[in-house]
Order: sequence, then structure tokens, then C-alpha cells
Amino acid sequence: MPSEIITLQLGQCGNQIGFEFWKRLCLEHGISPSGVLEDFANDGMDRKDVFFYQADDDHYIPRAVLLDLEPRVINTIMGSAYSKLYNPENVYLSKHGGGAGNNWASGYGQGEKLQEEVFDIIDREADGSDSLEGFILCHSIAGGTGSGMGSFIMERLADRYPKKLIQTFSVFPNQDEISDVVVQPYNSMLTLKRLTTAADSVVVLDNTALNRIACDRLHIQNPSFSQINNLVSTIMSVSTTTLRYPSYMNNNLIGLMAPLIPTPQLHFLMTGYTPLTSDSDINSQQPVNVRKTTVLDVMRRLLQPKNMMVSTGPDKSNHHCYISILNIIQGEVDPTQVHKSLQRIRDRKMAQFIPWGPTSIQVALSRSSPYVQSNHRVSGLMLANHTSICSLFERALNQYDKLRKRGAFLDQFRREDIFKDDLTELDESRETVDCLVQEYAAATREDYMQFSVKRGAGSGDSKSEDSRSVTSGGA
Amino acid sequence: MSQDNVVGTDVAGISNSLSNILSEMIICINGKQPPEVHEKALAQVGKMVDASTRVIWESNTLTERECVQKIMKLLSTREGEEDKSLPEHFFELYRKLTSIRFDPNTRHSLMTYLLSMVDNDGRSAANGDADAHSEADNLSQILSSRVHSKNGSSLTSLNGNGLVNGGAGYSYDATQASIGLSQQSLPNYVEATRMMPDSRQDIVTNAIYSFTGVQGKYLKKDVVTGRFKLDPQNMKLLTAGQAGMLLRLSELGYYHDRVAKFADVSTGFNAMGCMGQALISKLKEELADFHGQVAMLHDELNRFRKAQMNRIPNKDGEPDAADELTLFKLLAWYIKPLHRMQWLTKIADACQMKKGGELASTVYDFLDNGHSMVNKLVEDVLTAICGPLVRMISKWILEGGINDLHSEFFVESLNDVGADRLWHDKFRLRLSMLPKFVPMEMANKILKTGKCINFLREICEMQGMMREREELMKVMDTNVSQFFSYTPDTSWHAAVETCYQQTSKHVLDIMVGPHKLLDHLQGMRRYLLLGQGDFVSILIEHMKDELERPGVDIYSHDLSSMLDAALRCTNAQYDDPDILNHLDVMVQPPFFGDIGWDIISLQYIVQGPLATMLEPTMPTYKLLFKPLWRMKHMEFVLSMKIWKEQMGNAKTLRPINTEIGKASHRLNLFTSEIMHFIHQMQYYVLFEVIECNWVELQKKMQQATALDDILDAHEKFLQTIKVGCFVSSKPNVEHSLEGVYDNIIELEKWQSGFYKDCFKELSARQDLAKIVEKSEKKGVYGLTNELILQRDQEAKIFAEKVDIACRGLEVIASDYEKAVSSFLMALNSSHDPNLQLFGTRLDFNEYYKKRDTNLSKPLTFEHMRMSNVFTLNNKNYPNSRFVIHTPTSNE
Repeated sequence: MPSEIITLQLGQCGNQIGFEFWKRLCLEHGISPSGVLEDFANDGMDRKDVFFYQADDDHYIPRAVLLDLEPRVINTIMGSAYSKLYNPENVYLSKHGGGAGNNWASGYGQGEKLQEEVFDIIDREADGSDSLEGFILCHSIAGGTGSGMGSFIMERLADRYPKKLIQTFSVFPNQDEISDVVVQPYNSMLTLKRLTTAADSVVVLDNTALNRIACDRLHIQNPSFSQINNLVSTIMSVSTTTLRYPSYMNNNLIGLMAPLIPTPQLHFLMTGYTPLTSDSDINSQQPVNVRKTTVLDVMRRLLQPKNMMVSTGPDKSNHHCYISILNIIQGEVDPTQVHKSLQRIRDRKMAQFIPWGPTSIQVALSRSSPYVQSNHRVSGLMLANHTSICSLFERALNQYDKLRKRGAFLDQFRREDIFKDDLTELDESRETVDCLVQEYAAATREDYMQFSVKRGAGSGDSKSEDSRSVTSGGA
Repeated sequence: MSQDNVVGTDVAGISNSLSNILSEMIICINGKQPPEVHEKALAQVGKMVDASTRVIWESNTLTERECVQKIMKLLSTREGEEDKSLPEHFFELYRKLTSIRFDPNTRHSLMTYLLSMVDNDGRSAANGDADAHSEADNLSQILSSRVHSKNGSSLTSLNGNGLVNGGAGYSYDATQASIGLSQQSLPNYVEATRMMPDSRQDIVTNAIYSFTGVQGKYLKKDVVTGRFKLDPQNMKLLTAGQAGMLLRLSELGYYHDRVAKFADVSTGFNAMGCMGQALISKLKEELADFHGQVAMLHDELNRFRKAQMNRIPNKDGEPDAADELTLFKLLAWYIKPLHRMQWLTKIADACQMKKGGELASTVYDFLDNGHSMVNKLVEDVLTAICGPLVRMISKWILEGGINDLHSEFFVESLNDVGADRLWHDKFRLRLSMLPKFVPMEMANKILKTGKCINFLREICEMQGMMREREELMKVMDTNVSQFFSYTPDTSWHAAVETCYQQTSKHVLDIMVGPHKLLDHLQGMRRYLLLGQGDFVSILIEHMKDELERPGVDIYSHDLSSMLDAALRCTNAQYDDPDILNHLDVMVQPPFFGDIGWDIISLQYIVQGPLATMLEPTMPTYKLLFKPLWRMKHMEFVLSMKIWKEQMGNAKTLRPINTEIGKASHRLNLFTSEIMHFIHQMQYYVLFEVIECNWVELQKKMQQATALDDILDAHEKFLQTIKVGCFVSSKPNVEHSLEGVYDNIIELEKWQSGFYKDCFKELSARQDLAKIVEKSEKKGVYGLTNELILQRDQEAKIFAEKVDIACRGLEVIASDYEKAVSSFLMALNSSHDPNLQLFGTRLDFNEYYKKRDTNLSKPLTFEHMRMSNVFTLNNKNYPNSRFVIHTPTSNE
């Protein structure tokens, strides 16, 4: 079938959000946990074959590959009601099951070792599709399996399928709490390099922001993983909604991504969603909660930083700007309202845009699933390419530099093949991410057209940086 | 005579009292008479004296002196009277009368009355010859005029003297005349009466002749004008008053003639057609009616004469003046018929050479008259005229038939238009034949009703008749006059409305139901207007090789299978197969240099009833498909080729990034600029124009009560889209848009050349690296100076190539910029507020405005004018979606 997308779930986090994502898709498409099409779901408005394939007349199987180095999460999935949903051949657990120990290098190394078996699955899945459009990778950048093995697989995919797009949903660690994974800055840095070089588009899911939103907006104290994952699955499902409910535009991944991503490097997207409802709200099913939201309300709220799923920190210099915006609006929308709202936003200058090229807020009106009740008349997801995302990378660089300066926790990396000889890989990663930060910073200025990367001479220790870069001082 | 003497002595004896004088005068005139007759006459004279003022009119004709003279003259001419001194005696009496104090007016009228007595006396006595003559004339004239009017022959010689004289015995009139003759055959009388200058009966008869347009002794027709005038020979026989009255009365004859002429088919100036015939027959009816009335007058006249004739020989009573038909009575009588004839003449005159609805409109104009008789008359005429029209209407709206030999009906069927264009072109209103009292809306309803019936019968092949057809027909045909009623809510109108509602509902049900009209419209919107985005992109994906190929190498049968494949594997598969079967790929004959993109198009084939409905819109769809397809082409080139290559190659070409970094950075940004333009453009066309209008159209389709509602809405939908897709806009818009597109194609070519060079360089470097690696393995320093020099040379050439490429890119970029800014200028100065808004949104972050000073110029006169238009528009359409600056409540 056309424009198929294969989903790869890696590691604990990747499998968890992937699981939520598939649950959500099943719900929206009227597919039962066992993959059987429900009786009520036969109106043919949706396009299931992008994410599912049909085993027989009414049996749908996700185009998903589940990979992990330790069995815990996958076992949970296989023990759930959805166990029959997946093709068992697509579930790969490493034999020794010891995991990657939150070590990027270990994950990367194991990925290399297991690549034949893994790529057997992926190749088979790719061969089974008519015209594969790309891959969606779900993982976290901080752990071992998702980051390490994910990095390796991304590199291999870019090599093997140079014409296919690679999109990732990458979970960034929560900065507000102290992580139990001490090498997280290394892991992040190494993964970020692959996300920059190998992926075509990265949707950043910032745990910091997700937690904040859960607390502030949904009023949940100490939000649980499942509550956070619920948010994530909403974002994932809505961002693919134009692929699944095709209408006049944005019906394939490239159509979605191409207008958002101007240069190969600037492909880190942030998301925003409104209105937000917590699980309990959905369960209570109170019709009182249905609010009369208008398109303008939704679009304006989407531009507010507090609804962004990325915590970029306060933008002190106030020079960050939108490179591009795509709003996916769902619900009962009067189409004639849309351009009125756009005109208003423009007149009020509610959003700051790049000075070096034409850009605007794109709007995609999308149908939503008839099988899922929404508490809101209109809801919207924003996919935005915003320069302030670099603050996330600056933060990562900062933490990395702190650790790297002290040369802390490097032993476990040296044990792996990739760092057997030296740690250049780490320095190269740092440089790549640094270049990325530079480019984002340059993209806020009018002379971005003349931008060229200033590379630090030699290795990644101290070097001249952009004045705003936090790395230079070190401590 | 002895009595006379007695009276005479009485006069001498008794005082000259008035009564005595009168009595003597009567005796003088009437001669000896039985006492009761004498008393009666006396009583009448006395009455006359008492009520002198009442009869004053009589004096208008002759002066008192004349009366006396006439009486004396008459008395003297009286034959068979021995006493020749009667006139002198009368004069004596008259002198006595003048001597007593007596109202001269009364005296005058008294004299007039006495004159009439003398006259009557003479006439009744001399009824014989002269009357026989005039009577015969009269009757033969009537007869011949009737014959004339019935046969329509143009007999002009009306003097039937010969006929009557020759064969009086054969005709009815002659018999009647002979009664008088045989009994009073006094040759002297005849002679005398013939000479009588003021034979009143004669004049009256003549007047009555003239009513029916027949010339008589006194009245002749003017050859030129057709008006009656007095016969110059006999004119002197008439008093001035009689002449005046005759002339006045003759006016009726004139109008009668006019009407008769209008009713005469042979003149060729009549109203035409069935409705004209209806008018003519109505006129004839009126004429017959009128002739009947005139005949009554004749009857009256004859009766009176007969009575007189019977009376005189027996002397059993004096003539009853009240029964007598006088010119005055005629004057009183003729007013009504004259009025009627005048109006008929006016109507008929206006209707000359007219037919059908025009005729009805003409007559309708007369309807606005306050005079109830006229109003009634016109209404009758109009009813008569509209009869055929109403029958045509009922036949048309109940059976769909047109039986219109004279092209009078306001619905016209074009014979040379085939059944395939039945709905749109076959029938149309013939506006010249539309009566002005039928409002356009009504006419359209009637047109549509019949059209629907024809459509059902011929295209849908349904034979069923309408329910309650008989009743409706009856209602319509019997209530003709309601057709032109001022209030359009009569039972006739209700019947037409019922027909319209039922028939159009029927057609709507059939089209929407079994023929799935709405689904087809949806299908065309999805596939021809590219609403089904996934289908289009997959179709392009499937056909991409064919699309790039030169036009001559493309065969449509290859494409059909690709179309089928694309239908199968997208959401189109869930669409009704009925709809999908109509979809086809068409390959136009290629021009030189055309590639697949230029000649391949989708088309929607409709057949049967649908074709009748939708065929006229097909060219519009074809027209619309082109720019949409072109846009998809651009999007395809831009994202699937240019952008995707850039993304992929950015990874692969990273090793030589230092050399090409600048170029590819410029390339990326340029691409993103174009990408923005094309996506906004697509969004505008596909969403704002098509989708928004489609929503409107759907609303209208839901509300439609008749098929034409849907078709009209659809037509409007297409028109709006045509504007939105820049199909029918000013050439500069299209031109600059084409410029933008050309630059995209240029860019694609440029990019593939650029990457070819890059990959060549890359592989050269990799080869070199391999050689180095190999030689390292061998342990020799493998690079010769030559190799290094060659490599350096190649690298230099490559660097130059990149430089040249950069310049090429700049050329394309500046061309593109020019095209875009001219496009934006065109949008900004557009009259359509929609396009203006699109212009501002294309430049959402005011990037173009900053670059192109033209765009940020202060408002010129033209812009001012334009913004005025814009505000005006806003005022006119408060609900229009173009209102920008009104604050919304939720803000």
C-alpha cells in the first residue's frame, strides 16, 4: 500500500510511548486490541494502510517493529490485551536480555552486533510495502538502548534507505529532576549527533515540559509515566492525522515535513497542543466540559509558550523566532474562520518570524476519528520549527561539558568497541551539536543566508564559541 | 266644417281665451274630428302649455316664426281641403295668441308641437309612396348590410331601389311595405312626401343605417377617411340641428366600420396567430352583438311605422309620439355602443400585426381602466385572447408538449438541439412573447416544469404522468382570467405552482436518488479538483515515469492501469464504484516538446441523464484541472525531487561540505522560499477557494428544492473557483505565476547538474582515498606527483564549477524573485478582496515587503481607490468573510 510508514520502537521509553501510540491508533481507527476491525468502523473515511497492513479481510496488523535489549516493557506489552495486535515476528528481544545498562556505547555496540537480525525484520517489513515512505523511530535520548541502539539503527537506515525519510519522536530527559543515569549527558550528546546527521526530522518530546504541563495545566501532582505518555500519544497521533485521514493536502510525510524544514540541519520540531485534558476528564465524560472553542482561540493558544511541549527556558534576548509553523486543526471548524484567524494573528504580530525568508502559519484542517469522543469542539496541534529549541541543545552541551571536563564516568564507554581507541566520537558529537546550535542562532538573524559554520579547531575541549554559548567557560 | 264654424262663432262670441284659441288651432290643423280625439289633442296641447319648460328642447330646431310659417305652408299645401282660408285662419289665431299675455317660450314650443301635429298629420296621410320607398330602401339596406357583414363581401351599392321596385313582392320587406302601400295608395301624397324636406323617419332610418356603416340618403362615406359626411345634394333638406345630430350619430358607424375592418381577416393587418384569431372572433362576437342591438332599433322603427300606418286609415288615434324613434332617442342610445366600439377600435388598432404574448401584453395595458364597462370589456377580450395561451401552458406543464404553429408561446423549443443538451439549451424563454403580466419568475417556473417533464420522458425514459393531472388541467383551463390576475395567488397560479413543485421534486429525487447526482459532484470535486490528496499523490507517484516522458511516447492504455492501481490503493477504493467508473485518464495529442505532465489529464465521463446535466460544466472542469495539476506537478518536483534530494544528499555529501557548503546552503534556503510559496498557493487554492466554496455548495445542495438550484449553485461554485485558481484572471497574474513555475523547473535541472558534479568529485576523492589506502597496505607511498597534480587540477575545476553553479543559482533566484514580486503586485492591486488577502498572507512575515520597495509603497491613488472598493464591499456584505478589522467577541 502507498506511502507506508514503519514504526520502530526502541528501548524502554520508545516501547512505552509506541505502545500508547498504537493503542491510540487502534481506538481512532476502530480496531480492537486483537487487531480485528470493529463492527461500527466501516465508513471508509480513514486510511488505515499507512500504519497497518491487512492480514485478512478485517484483521489489521501494525507496521511496527519492537526492539529492546531487556524484556521488561515488551513483556508487559505482550501480556496486555494488545498482545495479539502485533506481528510476533516483529518483536525482537536480545537473547541475553541484559539491556544496555543506560550506556549509549553498549546500546550502540549491541545494535551493531544484532544488526543482521534487526535488519532482517526491517527489510522484510519494507519489502512488504508498496512504496515505503519512511520510518518513524520512537526512543529516548538519555537511556542506553533507545539512544545507543537507536543511533546505530538510524545511521544504518540512512545508509540503507537513503531515499526514505526518517522521522523520530525523541524523548528528552527531564532537567528538573536529578537523573539516576549519571552518563545521561554523554548519551544525549552522542544521540543528538545522530539525530542531527542521520534523521530527517525530529519531534522533540521534552520530559521537562511534559511534566510541567501535567502539573500546571492538568493539575496532576507527580504525574505518572502513563499520564505523560498519554500526552505523548496524543501528539503522535494528531501529528500523523493528515496521513491517516487524507484530504486535500499534507497527505504524506514529505508533504508534512518539507515545508517545515528549510535546511537539512534545522529539523528539530517542537509541538504544542491545546486544549489539554487529563485522563480523568476524558473518563468522566461530562458534556459540561465541551467548550465553545474557536479556531482563533486555538491558534492563539498554540502560540503561547506555556502550551509548548518543549521547555526552552526564558528567552532573555527575545530574538528567537519561528522558522515555520504547521497547525493541524481538528473538530467542527468553519473553514471560513481559518483565514480570518490567520489575518488576525498577522495583524497583531502574535508570532515572531524569521527575517531571512518568507514563512507563515500553515493550517491543515483534519478530520478526526468519529470513534473517539472529544471534549472540545476544536483542538489543535502545532508543529513548529523554532530557533529557541537550541537552548535545549545548549543545556545538553553545558551538562556534557561539565562531565567531560572532569572526564567522569568514561570508563564504561571505553569498554565498548567504539571508544576502544579514543574518545573522538564524543568530541565529534559535541562539535556537531555545537554547529547545530550555531546554525539555530544564525537562523534568528537576517544574514542567515551568509551563514557558514565556524568550526572549533581540532578536538572538542575549549574553543572559541559564539558569545552566547555557555560552553566556553566550562565551570 | 260646421263644427269649425261653430267654433269660429264661439271665438267671436267668447273672449279670446287661451283655450279657445288653442282649440281652434287644433281644429285648424286636424280638421273636423270626433270630439274625444279633439279633446285628447287639446289636453295634450294644454299639458304642453303647463309644462312649457319641459319641452323647451323642441325649440332648438326651429324658431317660432319658422314654425308658424311652416304650419301655414303645410296647411296651405294640404290637398283635399276645400277651405283654402285655413292658413289665414291659423295666422289669425296665432295673432290672437300673441296678443294675449303669454310666455313666448311656451308659445314657441306650442307652435313647434303644433307643427309636429301638422307634420304628422300630413305624413300619416301621405304615408304611402314616399314611405314605401324609404321603408324598402331601409330594409334592403339592412338586409344587404347583413349579407355584407356575414359574407364579408364588399358590396357597396346599397341602393336597392331596383330590387325593391322590381321584385317587391318576393321579399319580406316588400310585403311589409306593400301593406302600407295597398292601403294608402294616394299618388298625390307620395308626390308630396317625397318633396317633404324634413321627413324625420327617413333621417332616423338613415342614422340607423349609418350605425352599421351603411350609406344612405343623407350620409355618405368619405372615400379617404371612411368617415360619414352629409350628402351635399340632400344636405339642404336637413335642418342644421338634424345635420349635426346625424353627423354625431354617424360616428358610431365609423367606429363600427373600423372594428369590422379589424375583424376582417382578408385585410392582412389583423392580430396574428391563435391568440389573434381569438381576438378576431371576439371582435366578431362583439359586432354581432351590436348588430343585434341595431336590428332591435329597426324593429322598433318598423313597429312604430306599422302602428302609424294601421292607425291612419282608420283614424283610430293620433300617433304616439313617445314610441317614435327620434334622432334624440338615438343620440341617447348610441352613447353606450359608441363607447364600446371606440374601445374595441382602440384595442384592435393596438393589436394590429401582433401575436402571442405581445398581443396579450398590449391588451393587458388597456385593463387599467377605471370605467367598469371598459374594464369588463377588456377583461373579456383578454380572457378570450389568453384562452389559447393558457391551453398551451397547461399542455406544456402537464405533458411537456408544445403545439405552437405561430410561435406565440413564450417557451421555445429549439429543434436542432439534440437530446444531450436538453436540459440546458433545448428550451428557452421567448421573451418577446412573454406577456407582461407574467412575472419572470413565473415564466421560469413554467419553462422549468415543462423542461423537467421532457427530461423525465426523453432522457430518463419515464413515462409516468403527473398525479392529479386531470384536475390540474381543468383548473387551469377553466380559470383563464386568473392568468392575468393582479394577485398571483389564484387557483390557476396555485395549479401551476403545484405542477412546478411536483415535477421539479420528481426530477430532483430521480437525479439525487437513482442517478446519484450529488455523489458525482462530490466525485468530480475529489478527483478532478484534486480534493482527494492521497489519490493524487499516489497517482503521480505511479505515473511519474510516464509524466516525465516526451508526449509522443505516452499511451493512454498504460495510464488507465496506473489510474486503476492508484484508485485501488488509496482511500478512493472506498468510494462508490459507480463514481470511480466515470473517472478516466486522457492524453491530449502532444505538441512538440510536450512531456507527460502537459498532456495527461483526468476526466470524468458522464452519460445519460447526468450528461445532460453536467456536460456544460465539463469544459470548466477541464479548464480548472490544468492549473491544479500544474500546481501538483510543482509540488511534486519541489518536494519529491528537489527537497528530498537535498535532504538525502546532505548526508552523503557531508565529506565535501566545505567546498559545496555555501552553495547548498543557498540552495536550501532558496528551495524553502519556493516551498513556502507553492504550499501557500496550494493551500489557498485547495482550501480557501475550493474547500470553502465546496462547503457552501454542500449547504445549498442540502437545501435545494429543485434540480436547477443545485445546478445553479454548482455553476456558481465553478465560477468562484475559476477566479480563485487564476484561470480567468488578468493575464499578468497567470504570466507571473507561470514565471514562478518555470523557475522551479529550472532549479530542478540546475540541481541535478550540481549534484552530478558533486558526486563525481566525491567519488574521485573516494577513489583517491582507496588508492592511498591500497598503497599504504603495500607499504609504499602511493601517490605520485602526477596524481596529486591531477587531483588538484580536478579539485580546482570542481571549485570553478561550483562557482559557476552558484552564479547560475543566483540567476534563477533573481528571476524567481522578479516573478514572485510581480505576482504579489498583481495580487495587491487586484480588485478581488480575496486575492488581496491572499497576497498579504503569502507575505505573512512581510519578507517580500521588505525586499521589494514597490510592495511597501504608500498607498497610491490606485490603491486608495481599491481600498475604497474594499470597504464598500464590506459594508454591502456585512456577513462577508472578508471583514478584517472588526473585533471578534472572543478576543
